[in-house]
Amino acid sequence: MMRLRGAQRRLTAERDEAAAFVPWLVALMVYLAGLGGVGLIVLDDALRAAAPLAATMTLQVPADASKARLETVLAVLRQTPGVVSVHLLDAPETAQLVEPWLGPSVPLDQLPVPHLIDLRIAPDAATDFAALRRQLATVAPGARLDDQRPLLAGMRAATRRLDGVLGAAILVALLLIALLAVFAVRSNLAARRPALELLRLLGADDSDIVRPVATRWLWLGLAGGAIGAGAALLTILALRGAGAVVQLPPPDGGIADWRLLAVLAGAALAAGIIAMASARVTMLRHLAQLP
Amino acid sequence: MALVGLEHIAKSYGGGAPILSDVSLTLEPGSFCFLTGDSGAGKTTLLRIICLAEPPSRGKLTLFGADSARLDRMARTALRRRIGIVFQDCRLLDELTARDNIALPLRIQGAAEDKILDNVSELLAWVGLADRGDVRAASLSGGERRRVAIARAIVGRPELLIADEPVGDVDDGVALLLVRAFEEINRLGATVLIATRDIGFAGRFEHQRFRLDRGMLSEAGGTAVQ
Repeated sequence: MMRLRGAQRRLTAERDEAAAFVPWLVALMVYLAGLGGVGLIVLDDALRAAAPLAATMTLQVPADASKARLETVLAVLRQTPGVVSVHLLDAPETAQLVEPWLGPSVPLDQLPVPHLIDLRIAPDAATDFAALRRQLATVAPGARLDDQRPLLAGMRAATRRLDGVLGAAILVALLLIALLAVFAVRSNLAARRPALELLRLLGADDSDIVRPVATRWLWLGLAGGAIGAGAALLTILALRGAGAVVQLPPPDGGIADWRLLAVLAGAALAAGIIAMASARVTMLRHLAQLP
Repeated sequence: MALVGLEHIAKSYGGGAPILSDVSLTLEPGSFCFLTGDSGAGKTTLLRIICLAEPPSRGKLTLFGADSARLDRMARTALRRRIGIVFQDCRLLDELTARDNIALPLRIQGAAEDKILDNVSELLAWVGLADRGDVRAASLSGGERRRVAIARAIVGRPELLIADEPVGDVDDGVALLLVRAFEEINRLGATVLIATRDIGFAGRFEHQRFRLDRGMLSEAGGTAVQ
């Protein structure tokens, strides 16, 4: 195995001045990819937080409905396939529920506050809610079934689209790192060709010639990746601290969330590996044209 | 077994006029030959074919008993380590010192660093550059560069030494000394092939001479020394 040292490594590696800007460009890409990855985590958290909404519904029965009608409504609900539990909120529960809007001292018994019934729905149940609504309308005219599931479905669809956009942005950022390595290595190869051909004629293996270049790009990628990941972390901290000005929901575990750290560390590592692999492939393809 | 065997070698570039038309040549182990011919006769092309820098357009090259057309990339690399080359333009790496230039073949072969230091120092002294080892190649004179190139070609104890115009830009006395040096290497067992356009200079030695003229090779005299 060839052991090139010091100045000899520069025979095949890029000139320092040409490579000086590389870590900063890689840092920019990793910064964007890292924020994109954190965005995916945030969206995932938001979806998971909203998931229980799909399993609950609220039925509002007009305040003037008789007790008999109310009992009938409860019976209808309990017999409906897919309804797991039915709970009529009592006066204190209702008061607690409306307190944020009406305040603590409002006499609810003097207000036409509707009866509230909390329903739990089996997640996979194929309940015919249109038929249920028609049935409730005959039993308790004016009853209103609040269903958050369409809202959640819309949120899911929007999240999927955002996931796609963020995923594409991450891929583009990583692809740009690869292109950066390819073009930087290529631009140096023309000037290095006589030295590379000499090394070949003296009996150097392709892998020996490529190794210093690949190693150099690994470190350039890792250095840029570390800078970019650090900058992304600082940005997330700053956005959390900005409070009402910029509301970036932090991941569930906050800044110490292992997923956040894993995404940023992964982005930095990926930058190094992609830069190294791209430089290596470019060099090997070039060397294949030499004797 | 011949060290180098050329059978009906032809070479042309891009369908142009042939540089080499029909060259056949055999170099036995331990032989010392001059390859003469005017500028543009095809000497450098022939040497490049022998050292596997480029393939012939036609014909067969056998090197160390192996058919060059059947060699894969790894095998070509291995054979190159058995060949020492003095390029016409020296091809030193200007970024490196004279010492590191000479050490390059040994480093490529993965030799131990203490062995490299010993061998390189010995060769620097041998070519009269003991005090110039740490000078960058870019700062060396033409004659010094030539001597570094020769030292680099022989530092790996090659079985075949190919030199392209090694005495082209040095005065007569130095040229004579260089050929004597090649003869010494030859006595140590290496097969030596020297290309020169100076037919008169080559004629001063009793070594086998071949003449390349318009792509054709002919024997021009001398004695085949085994």
